[in-house]
Amino acid sequence: MSGLADLKLGFIPLTDCAPLVVAKALGFFAEEGLDVSLNREASWATIRDKVAVGALDGAHMLAPMALAAAAGASGGLTLDVGPSLIAPMALNRNGSAITVSRSLADTMRAADPQAMAGPPVSARALAKVIAERAGQGAPPLTFAVVFPYSMHNYELRYWLAQAGVDPDKDVRLVVTPPPRMVEQMRAGEIDGFCVGAPWNAVAEREGLGEIVITASAFWPGGPDKVFGVTEAWAHHYPDELRAALRALIRASAWSDDPANRDELVVLLARPEHVGVSPKVLERALADEIVFHRDGAGVPRREHALWFLSQMVRWGQVAADTDIHAVADAVYRPDMFRAAALSAGPLLDPAQAFADGPGELAPLFEGPAFDSTRAGPYATAFSIGRARV
Amino acid sequence: MRVLVIDPDPARAALVAEGLEGVHPLEVRRSERFDEREAAQFAPDVVVIAAESPDRDTLESLREASQSNPRPVVMFVDRSEPGLAEQAVRAGVAAYVVDGLAPARVRPILDVAMSRFALTQQLRGDLAKVKADLESRKTVERAKGLLMKERGLDEDGAYRLLRKLAMDRGKPIGAVAADLLAFAGVLKGDAS
Repeated sequence: MSGLADLKLGFIPLTDCAPLVVAKALGFFAEEGLDVSLNREASWATIRDKVAVGALDGAHMLAPMALAAAAGASGGLTLDVGPSLIAPMALNRNGSAITVSRSLADTMRAADPQAMAGPPVSARALAKVIAERAGQGAPPLTFAVVFPYSMHNYELRYWLAQAGVDPDKDVRLVVTPPPRMVEQMRAGEIDGFCVGAPWNAVAEREGLGEIVITASAFWPGGPDKVFGVTEAWAHHYPDELRAALRALIRASAWSDDPANRDELVVLLARPEHVGVSPKVLERALADEIVFHRDGAGVPRREHALWFLSQMVRWGQVAADTDIHAVADAVYRPDMFRAAALSAGPLLDPAQAFADGPGELAPLFEGPAFDSTRAGPYATAFSIGRARV
Repeated sequence: MRVLVIDPDPARAALVAEGLEGVHPLEVRRSERFDEREAAQFAPDVVVIAAESPDRDTLESLREASQSNPRPVVMFVDRSEPGLAEQAVRAGVAAYVVDGLAPARVRPILDVAMSRFALTQQLRGDLAKVKADLESRKTVERAKGLLMKERGLDEDGAYRLLRKLAMDRGKPIGAVAADLLAFAGVLKGDAS
């Protein structure tokens, strides 16, 4: 007996649940003395609620979901007493993509072949299609994202707005669970979506859609999921948290290693994990998703601030929200660092931290994000709903 | 009051809907999936949804869209009854209500949903146990047959031997029978 409490962790069937699945399957949790049960959940809302009430100890989470509650976003919490969520580790960088239906891609190519010479492509061709449709009185195109507080929502909105498309006025935006994106595209209910791997690759493989831009082209090294727990749980179970983080960090390093790729793909493909064919999992793992190297596991406050700037931009939180305080309360690189350092020779610190904050890459068709000026950045966009 | 029940498990949804019909005045509709158009037509005051339904995220997003396109559904946040939301989450039920609906009117609905969820879980548990018992009985029958053939015992003797093995090992008779069959398989060379 290790004396550590048993843990229940939740995940959503997506490629980037890999660190949790690997830490369990390869015995990294067990080596830390942790008995972990993994629970596959059907929605982000349920993940959030279960972690909040303690039915789960921690989970695979959308990074903005963890930030939303602390920022006072209207949809951040279900519960009357809102336990604060914290993100002591980032699970991956990149992994999402924007896909449009084959017929929309063809229409876009006809409208502006130059803008469609990609991927990545600009939404300029889409802007022309939308203007034409509006002129003909056709109904707006429908795009789906996975959750209001998600990289996917902000990525799609940013990409559209850079080409002059107002995501709240010029298209219809809906929320659809990841596994249903492809079937809704097949049914013609949605014309495009932004979702995490492997669902973009599934749409392409089934001949239904075309990927127009991947997250790594949208924002190289941009953030995605985190491992989330409540602040209260982290306070009461510091040893369990540190042990779990060590196991997850090892699992992330293992998942990055191309030598383990085949094994990882087989593991993720299993029905109790992601439950898709290994082929579609390979794509984003090959050159998109980074789990560990270059400090990918560090929950960077610059990333939190970018998410918060987008919440301000789209009116999800008030413009006078103290986003720097929220970022510091939720994102906890100190916990990541302590866990990684305590792993001793199992980890290469140069990879785990990629020391120094590192420059942020510029966003697609836009400037690099300067986190010291996050507030003015959030309200400076010509298309936005900032509540100043 | 109109209640929409969304549950991928149709049997449980039927049970919840039936229970809710006892709470009046109610109009209950149930569906395996949340369809925005259908929901808009029905205009529910409360949506009761199974936590395992992927449609929860869609439902939550409707609040976000309310600025430009007002919709009636918002999430259930009841500050007057601490612990209720926690209880519901643990029971696997989530509820979304129209803004302004008195919490006291939602309480009985949520109570019915939670009790029916618990009942379903218990029934499923009982069914699994019956299946396992049946399976174990079949295994015991086969092990008895094996002992009768290999040891030249009559049925009663075979059963007594199995029971003794079970007692000596402190294991259920079904488990001992399964072990015996597995070992017999190994000895015959069909192990894998």
